[in-house]
Amino acid sequence: MSDASSPWQQAAIEQANRSAGEGAGASGPVNPPGGTWNRPDLTPSQPVYDGRLGELYAIYLRHLALMLVTLGWSRFWGRTRIRRYVWNHMSVLGDRFEYRGRGRELLIGFLLALLLIAAWAGLMYVVWIYVFHEKPFASFGMFDIFSLSVFLIGFPLAYVGHYAGLRYKLSRTRWRGIRCGMAGSAWRYGAIATFLHFANASTAYLLTPVVSVNLARPRIVNARVGTQGFAFAGSAGDIYGRYLGYYFLNIVAWIVAAGATFALIGGTIESLGFTFADVQKLFSHPSLRTLVVVLAIGFAAYLVFGLLILPLRCWWQAYLMRYLVTRSRAGNVLFATALSTRQMWGFLVLNYLIVLLTLGIGWPWVMHRTMKLIAGQLWIYGAPLSDDIRQPTDLGPTYGEGLLDLFDVSGV
Amino acid sequence: MAARYYDGESAGVQEVLLRVTASELVIYRPADSSIVARWPVADLSVLGDSQHEAVPPVILRGSEARLAIEDPAWRKQLAALVPTLKPLALEPVKVAPRLGAYSLAIVALIGLFWSAIEYGTGYAAPLLPYSWQVKLGETVLDQLIADEEECTGKAGLAAINRLANDLAKEAGYPHEVTVHVVKGGPVNAFTLPGSILVFYSDLIDQATSTQVAGVLAHEIGHVVHYHPTKGLVRAYGFDLLIKLLTGGYSDVLTTFGSGGTALLALRNGRAFEREADETGVRLLEKSGLRADGVSTFFEQMLKKKPEDAATEAGIWSSHPPTQERIAATKRPPSGKLPFTTAEWQALKNVCK
Repeated sequence: MSDASSPWQQAAIEQANRSAGEGAGASGPVNPPGGTWNRPDLTPSQPVYDGRLGELYAIYLRHLALMLVTLGWSRFWGRTRIRRYVWNHMSVLGDRFEYRGRGRELLIGFLLALLLIAAWAGLMYVVWIYVFHEKPFASFGMFDIFSLSVFLIGFPLAYVGHYAGLRYKLSRTRWRGIRCGMAGSAWRYGAIATFLHFANASTAYLLTPVVSVNLARPRIVNARVGTQGFAFAGSAGDIYGRYLGYYFLNIVAWIVAAGATFALIGGTIESLGFTFADVQKLFSHPSLRTLVVVLAIGFAAYLVFGLLILPLRCWWQAYLMRYLVTRSRAGNVLFATALSTRQMWGFLVLNYLIVLLTLGIGWPWVMHRTMKLIAGQLWIYGAPLSDDIRQPTDLGPTYGEGLLDLFDVSGV
Repeated sequence: MAARYYDGESAGVQEVLLRVTASELVIYRPADSSIVARWPVADLSVLGDSQHEAVPPVILRGSEARLAIEDPAWRKQLAALVPTLKPLALEPVKVAPRLGAYSLAIVALIGLFWSAIEYGTGYAAPLLPYSWQVKLGETVLDQLIADEEECTGKAGLAAINRLANDLAKEAGYPHEVTVHVVKGGPVNAFTLPGSILVFYSDLIDQATSTQVAGVLAHEIGHVVHYHPTKGLVRAYGFDLLIKLLTGGYSDVLTTFGSGGTALLALRNGRAFEREADETGVRLLEKSGLRADGVSTFFEQMLKKKPEDAATEAGIWSSHPPTQERIAATKRPPSGKLPFTTAEWQALKNVCK
């Protein structure tokens, strides 16, 4: 990172300018003669997560029990309790985060989103009556019209919900008593995200770096801690080379994986003397043998995909994450991470397997592992100019996450 | 007592010491004892609790300022001096007993939920407003037969509807049953919520009058046991249970869950079919009609296609193996014919 566009260099220059400005007045020299400046404070530190898995499980299991009793209506309060625990056990520069959201705010958000859907259903009913005259067209009835239309609007609304959900969470997060927040329009983000994903899918995913950078940018630059904003100095061009390498290697890996899978399945079936009828019977009349075969298939799939396809993906994702983190800064505070492919594998693949194999009960473990990973892998260089960071006047949205709850798989 | 003080106006943090007087909490700097803030004791409060927060902040009501006291011993000491700050002294809960208690509660609740779905739907389905069931059935019917031709032979429809309602009445069923006949195949019939039955004309063409009556009685078995509504309620119940348990945190889990729900629905389907077979034959016998039609119909089907799809599909089949059904419904060819000759002729011509 030696070029002047590097966020590290920019922060150093700004810090130097600030020091120089303080000595020479507001219109003082930008850099001292000879291009030297006082080295900015880039003391490294790391976030600390001191949550305990057992405690998190106690909260989660209570949430699960209440979910069963209330048929899911307690989830708003359950989520809030889990967030309170996780946030307050994470600290940066010795100060813990606070989560001050309320369950009822999430409930109101959900009810409002439900109203939105009800209004949409009403509109579809009008279409059913006046356009279709209550007659199905090619077996396409009212339920189908509604489901299809909700699927179509659900896609962009999920992105709107993502952004609005992030805004809500940040607005309920405090650090050193200062509220965080998020500017920008969630609808605009939803429109951009929908367009970019559509364009990416239409170009065989060759636009992934453009999508990643352009969707990360608004989420980073619009986030703030009090009056302190974040900056992002990333550009898709920087990561295209690596992406193209990943893209073509991924194609080769899929060809190899597909070949290995067919050889394995074909060879195994043939060598064991299985006929199609045997395979059919195995799965239609389950026995211990079926369990053994399912486990063997699962293990083989893990070998092929877990060790061939997914590590490659993790290699790219780890690189992307390192890039996004190191290109972000908040005033004179810089961020860095040395997140490795192996760690990304643990995050993406292992966490996935934990949730899957425990039928969701392993979810707090995944949360715990993720927080530990963030605490262990994020480096913060420098300290904020605390007195310059003021309490924002805006209180954030009064309710939250309804769209996210309806249109997206929404964790904590 | 040492604490970190946040003034609520900026992100500045000060290491401070605390002193409690009769009416105030005095916050001062350790270096020169200069006062940072004086908070009236009556306006102090604690945000959160020790079960969720590692360090529940102490606040002055109406202000954004906060105090974070990391040391639990000092938190306890402050709570002892200021009664309104009692939550600060609460011990973090003991994890192991809680985990045990919640796990047991969850297992018990799953059992209860499962039982409610498995057995409760039998009681709940008839209680659902009947007009809703009819509306639902009609909507599904409209979609299912949108591209089909419905047979409108008045006399034929009257004949099959007459027998259907006689059998339903025999079972003490309080609602009117409506039978629709759709032109063509497959050789099948099915029941929708709201006592709506659909027969395909291929079945009527290829079966005898006792066989048609047997199939009709079987479908009435579904109607009087509210099977379509029960099936929907159960499917929704299991789906909800899986969503509640998995928290909806993974789309793959949801997919697996849907697969599980489908398998359970199929299992329910097989149980419903057995119950409908048994009820159908019983209703025919009770009405003094020939009850051998169900088994002979199955025999005829099996003769046409010896590889029984239900047997082959095993757990993926919505119906029990046909041989099993034949054995369960086998009856002697005794009793009255279900239709008069005129009725049967009319039914044969229902699509003409």
